[in-house]
Formats: sequence, structure tokens, C-alpha cells
Amino acid sequence: MSKKRSKGVAKRAKSTRSRTVKISSRASVAVATSAKRPVKERLAAMRKTTQEICADDDKLQAMLRVLRDTAEPTAVRLAALQAIQAASFSVVQFESCRPDYLAALRAVATDADAEIRQRVLGILAREKDGFAQQRLLEGLQDPNKALVPPEKALQLLSYDIHADAYPVARRILSNPPSPAARREALRLLAADASSRPVFEQILRDKKEAPEMRQLSASALQALAPQSLQTHARAILLDQSEPDALRATSLTALTQFGDHADVSKDEKLMKGVSSLKSAGSSSNLKRGAQRFLAKYGR
Amino acid sequence: MTQAVASSGLSELQFAELVDALSADPGGQGELIELLQESHPLYDQRGTAAIVRMRAWILIALARVGLTDGALLFVLEELDTGRDAYLVAAAARALRTYPAPTAAFAPFVMRAIANTRYHDEPVAFDHYGEYSTSATGTTAVQDLLATLAWLGPHARGAVAEIEALRTNQGGIPRKLLPEVDRVIAAIEPGARPGELIGDDFNTVDCCTLPAGLGRLSWPRSARRRCDTIESTVFEDHDGRVIRFDDFFRGQPSIVVFFYTRCDNPQKCSLTVAKLGRVQKMLADRGLAERIRTAAITYDPAFDVPDRLRGYGQSRGMRMDTGHRALRAVDGMAALKSHFALGVNFIESLVNRHRVEVYLLDAGGGLAAAFERIHWDEQEVVNRAAELLTEQGRAPSPRMPVAPASVPARRGGVSTIFGTFASLGVAFFPKCPVCWAAYTSVLGVTALERLPFSPWLQPVLGMLMIVNILTVWMRSRATGRMSGRNLVVLGAVAIVMSNTNANVDHLGAAGVALTLAGSLLSTLGGPGAVGPPRYQANS
Repeated sequence: MSKKRSKGVAKRAKSTRSRTVKISSRASVAVATSAKRPVKERLAAMRKTTQEICADDDKLQAMLRVLRDTAEPTAVRLAALQAIQAASFSVVQFESCRPDYLAALRAVATDADAEIRQRVLGILAREKDGFAQQRLLEGLQDPNKALVPPEKALQLLSYDIHADAYPVARRILSNPPSPAARREALRLLAADASSRPVFEQILRDKKEAPEMRQLSASALQALAPQSLQTHARAILLDQSEPDALRATSLTALTQFGDHADVSKDEKLMKGVSSLKSAGSSSNLKRGAQRFLAKYGR
Repeated sequence: MTQAVASSGLSELQFAELVDALSADPGGQGELIELLQESHPLYDQRGTAAIVRMRAWILIALARVGLTDGALLFVLEELDTGRDAYLVAAAARALRTYPAPTAAFAPFVMRAIANTRYHDEPVAFDHYGEYSTSATGTTAVQDLLATLAWLGPHARGAVAEIEALRTNQGGIPRKLLPEVDRVIAAIEPGARPGELIGDDFNTVDCCTLPAGLGRLSWPRSARRRCDTIESTVFEDHDGRVIRFDDFFRGQPSIVVFFYTRCDNPQKCSLTVAKLGRVQKMLADRGLAERIRTAAITYDPAFDVPDRLRGYGQSRGMRMDTGHRALRAVDGMAALKSHFALGVNFIESLVNRHRVEVYLLDAGGGLAAAFERIHWDEQEVVNRAAELLTEQGRAPSPRMPVAPASVPARRGGVSTIFGTFASLGVAFFPKCPVCWAAYTSVLGVTALERLPFSPWLQPVLGMLMIVNILTVWMRSRATGRMSGRNLVVLGAVAIVMSNTNANVDHLGAAGVALTLAGSLLSTLGGPGAVGPPRYQANS
């Protein structure tokens, strides 16, 4: 009996709660888009608008106006962007809002505010939007037209392997404006099969930073797994190589190595066995144990 | 003209000027259509987004001059498989300029709505490469609805689907409902929304597209032979190496092209899944061992065996010795040229391609193609079965005489039989003296005397000719000529030894040559898998 009653109370409470949330979120768009309200209040209201934005066209247009309006505080515009972006995750519900949303994003992609620009270009790049790709490539070819730093542009272009970004990435790799740009260029080229020699060269170059060499190893795993096996073996057996890279090589051989070839490779087995006892890093020791366990040694 | 200009490396703006000039030229439409070929050098080394802008501009130019039958296939292809809203919108606009709306267009427009609606975007075509930033412009779906309205009563077959767009669950956005109502009004003037639930589609001028649209086939006399690519080396999903002529000669084949990094689910992914269904149909009809299938990647540098296997398996493709996913280890350019593939590249990556399926006859020659528009699995299986019948009915120099299921064995049996005939001819006694010699030998070995049977000689001669023909046809099918040459030489030697008593020793040489040639011909049959001559990425 008491169980039944408590169930009823919980149901009523839930119903009341949901009604409260619904009412407040209905009003939220009006509060969030009102320039007369304090910024703090608007930001709080923005967080509750997600379910309401696509409910009718007026609300969507009001939110998009806030996003487009350069006179609005940046924090409010960013909150509006975040709210609409959250709404867009419901693909079916967002169907009617999508074209207007994309039009607004394109309009704001060249905004004076760097943070808004970068966020918007990020969203468009994930949509593989031709407009955004065109602007990002222009910026990489002519720094005066750049809307975001080169490393960010390369990162955003890498969302679409079909973007025309390989030539510019290669140019930046050989003549980088910054180490970050060089790293992102290398990351972008990881989908380009013809860049395999570049990755092999960087992976074997001891003067390169370990991060660049590890990036090259993972690119080779995707592009030329056989080649990575050869290089990973050589790096693993070379005691002058840094432990971090040897650990990466060991993982590659453990996870992706050709079982028949590796199990017959006595020199490799001996080398890995020695890693257990020598003054290796703990990562390397653990990796060696996993490797030897896999091959029954 | 366009090839020459394009190969000089046009900028996009120069390209737009070229297209504008061609659309202003009364005789320029043919060149505009030529520009739509995916393999056109104009698209070489450009990003996909640039290609979308360029092709959309051509479609808009075609819309300005009015769409003709020659360009219709490209427009329907975009509606059928296109995923980019900008390009689909341009195709919808172009279709509305076709001289006569027909019921056959309606399914294409409905498919385009289904493909595009969840990634619709605002579009503008006032200037080349324009991206709409306005909230008041049109979208691809709006353009497609306008095209349905243009079809009017011809879209009656799609009424049930159009009505479904008005429902609450899974319906089209509310703001587009007035446009859906306009479509319904255009289909059935005077009808109110909800009233058009009947489907008298069959009474309308249904489904007739211009002849040959998307389907090409070649009569036997006009087939393109595979001599230029017979030595192309492939690696399959298990890393086994095989030459083109080893796999594609001896039995008819169904070949599709794809690549694993294709991001259009209506193209490569669907194509390979459909190939899986084709394989099941072949198995159901008992043809799985008699008709080969292959999915060849456009992107051999990236699509290593593991990727090929994973991609095929996850789409239900059967993969074994007769059914393979392949990548060209060398000779991709020759392959592209031979099949006239509708594909182009940026670096080694595909930037644009069409849907394409080919049927090869038992000689590896191109017998039929299904291009651009979605193909019907049953139709492809039926056409392939026809090739099999054709092969059994009328063996030609291009077709091996052996049934496809056991090509090596049947060929081998007839060759061995013919070889014994050659031996018989060579050692047949030519005169009573020879016969006496043979019988004295037989007498020594205590065998009974054989009757003199001169009629055996022409019989053995005929059998020897059969052997030569068999080996000859087999050599045409396998591409290996050395066996044939040895057998012919052997036959000449045997005939000479029979007609001239002074060169009797030639008979033994002829027998040796015949034996060697027949063996070579038998052992080098189709389906032989060569040793691994190439290690992936090594």
C-alpha cells in the first residue's frame, strides 16, 4: 500500500518537474535573445533553449540574429552558437533549421571576433562545407587572408580527406611557419598514400622530435603496415632510440605484427626479452611482457 | 578544344568563363556535356568541393540552354546518387528545362529528396561558386519540390511518398509544407491534400527514359579485347597475386569499381553490398562457380588487402578464389584507360567517380556496362548468364571452348586425346614393308598379327587437326601462345615425316614437339594463381 502511494507521489513530482522545465524552457528563448536582459541572465537562459530552438521558425531566427549580430556581447553569441549546435545533434528534429543555420554560420565565418570565427569554421569544416574549405585554403596560401592560425586551418581541413589540402600541407611541412603548423601538416598528410616516404624518413630520423616520429609511425600503420613492421623492429632493437618510441614500436609489433614472421624472429625475441631485465622504462617493460606472453615466451 | 584548354591548368574562374562562353555558343552544348565526364583532365588534381562547384556550374549552364537527351543521364545520375546538396539543387534546376516532363523522372526526384533532406543547405547560383549566406534563399529540397511541381501529373506515381512527406512522423519540415501542398495541387489540379491516395500510375506515360540511358552493351563483334591489360597484376583481399588474364579469362565475370574511403553511401558502399546480393543470386541459380565476380578498388595505394577484406565482409560480399576484391599492384592507368573509367584523382585519392559495373565475356572482353544510374542486380545476373549461354553456344577464337566451371580439365582432356592422335599418325606404318617390320616386332614380342588398316591414317590425321584447333583456341583464351606454336610445329614435322621417307626422323621430333606444346597449353590454364611476386607495401 505504502509502496503504491510512494510511486504515485514520485510520478506526480516527476510530472510537476517536467512541467516546470518545459515552462521555463519555453520562455528561455525570449529571455536569451532579449538585449535588455543582463548578460548573466541571458547566458543562463541560453542553456535551456536547446529543445525549443527548432520548435518554430521565429525562435530559430531570433537565436540566429543573436549569433549574427556583432553588437551583441561575444559571450552571448558564443552561448547562442553552443545552444543551436546542441540542438543540431537531433538530426531529424533539426532538419527544418539546418539550411538557415548553415547560412548563418557562413555569414559569421568571417566575423571580426577570432574565437567566434574559429568555432564557426570548426563546425562548418566538420560538415565538409565547401565555403569553409575555400576560406581555409585561401588563408594558408595567403596569410593576409587567414581567418585562423595555419595549424588550426590544417587541423580543420583534415576533417575532409577530399579537400585540396595535400599540396599546401607538403609546402608547410618543408617550410613551416611554426612547429605546431608542421605537426598539423604531418597529421593531415597521414591520409595521403603518396606521403609514405616522408613518414618513413621522419620516423627514422633521430633528430626529429619524438612526437613527430610517433605521428609518422601511426600514419605508416594506416598507409603501409608492412613498412611500419620493418621500421618498428629496427627502432626497437636500437638501444640509442628513446624509450617512448621503442615502446610505440613494441606496441605496433605486438598488436599488428605478422604472427608467423615475428614468432620466427629469434633476434627480435632476444631483444625484447632483454627489455624485461635491463634498465628500461616501466612502459617498455610492461610492453615486453605483453609481447612475450603473446608469443608464448 | 576543352581538353586542350583544360590541360593547360585553368583556374576556377577561367573555367567558369569557359562554361559561360560555351553556353552562349549555339553549338557549345556538346562540349558542355563533354566537360561532365569525370575522367576529363579538367578535374585532375582538384578537391571535391571545387569539383562540386564546377559541375554545378555546368548543370546551371545546361539549364540556361535547355537540357537535352545527351545531358539527361548526368542530371539523373546526380539525383539518383548525389549527396552534395549544391550539386543536387543544380541538377534539379537543369531537369526542369528538359523539353517534356515524364513519369520516369519522379522516382529520381523522390530519391534525391530522401538522399538530401537531412543535409540540406541554402543554395545560390547567381555567380560561379556562390555560397548562400542568406536566410531567405532556396535550398536543395525546395528545388526538388519545385521539380516535382514541374512534373505535375507525371509525378502521380510518387503521390504516396509525397503524401508521406506531410505526416508528423518523418515528414518534411513544417516550413516546407506549403510547397508540398503546391506539388500536390500541381499533380492533381483541384485535389486537396490528403485526397490523393489512389495510384493510377500505370495510366500515365510511365517510366520511359531515352533509349540506352545508363546501360551499354556491346555485340560480340564490337567488344573491346583485353590485350592491353592482360598482364595487369592484382593483389586480392588475402594478399594473393594474380594477373588479369589468369582471373578474367576462361569464364564470364561481373566487375564493379569502388574504394573504401568513398564517403557517399549511395555509391561504393551500396555497389559492394549489391555485388554481395548478385553473388547470392548466382549461387541460387547454381552459377557461382561458372561466373566470377570482382570488386576492384580505384585507390590501390590505400586499399591494402586487410582493408579490402574488411570492407567486403562488412557488406556481405563473398570472397574466395572465384570472387575477389582486388587492387591493381601495377597498371592502374592502363586499367583506367581500358575500362574508360569515370573517375578522377587528387594525388592518389579519388575526387569524383561514377557508379560503374561491367560484364566481361569469357575472353576478358568488355561485353556490357551499367553506368551512372543504379543498376538492377537481377538484370546484371541475367546478362551474365546470357554470356555463359553465348559461350556454350558458339565458341569463338575469343572464347575458350571449355565450359567455365572446369576450364582446365576439359581443355586438358581434349588436348591429351589429340596428342595421342598425333602419336598415332607419326608411328602409323606408311607402306607394306613398314607394316611387315611392325608385325615382326610384334611377333618377336609374341603378340598376334594385326590386320593392315589403312583407314586409320585419315582418322588419326583428323584427330591431330582437332588437337591443333583445341590448343589454338585455348591459347587465344589464355593468352599463352608458346604451346600453340609448338603443337603446330610438331604437326608440320609429323606430316613431313609421313610424306617424305628421307626425313623419317622428323616424326620423333614432331611427337616431342606435340607433347611439349600440349602439356604447356594444359598446364597454363585460367585460374592458375601465380606465386606471390609482390609484397604489399614492401
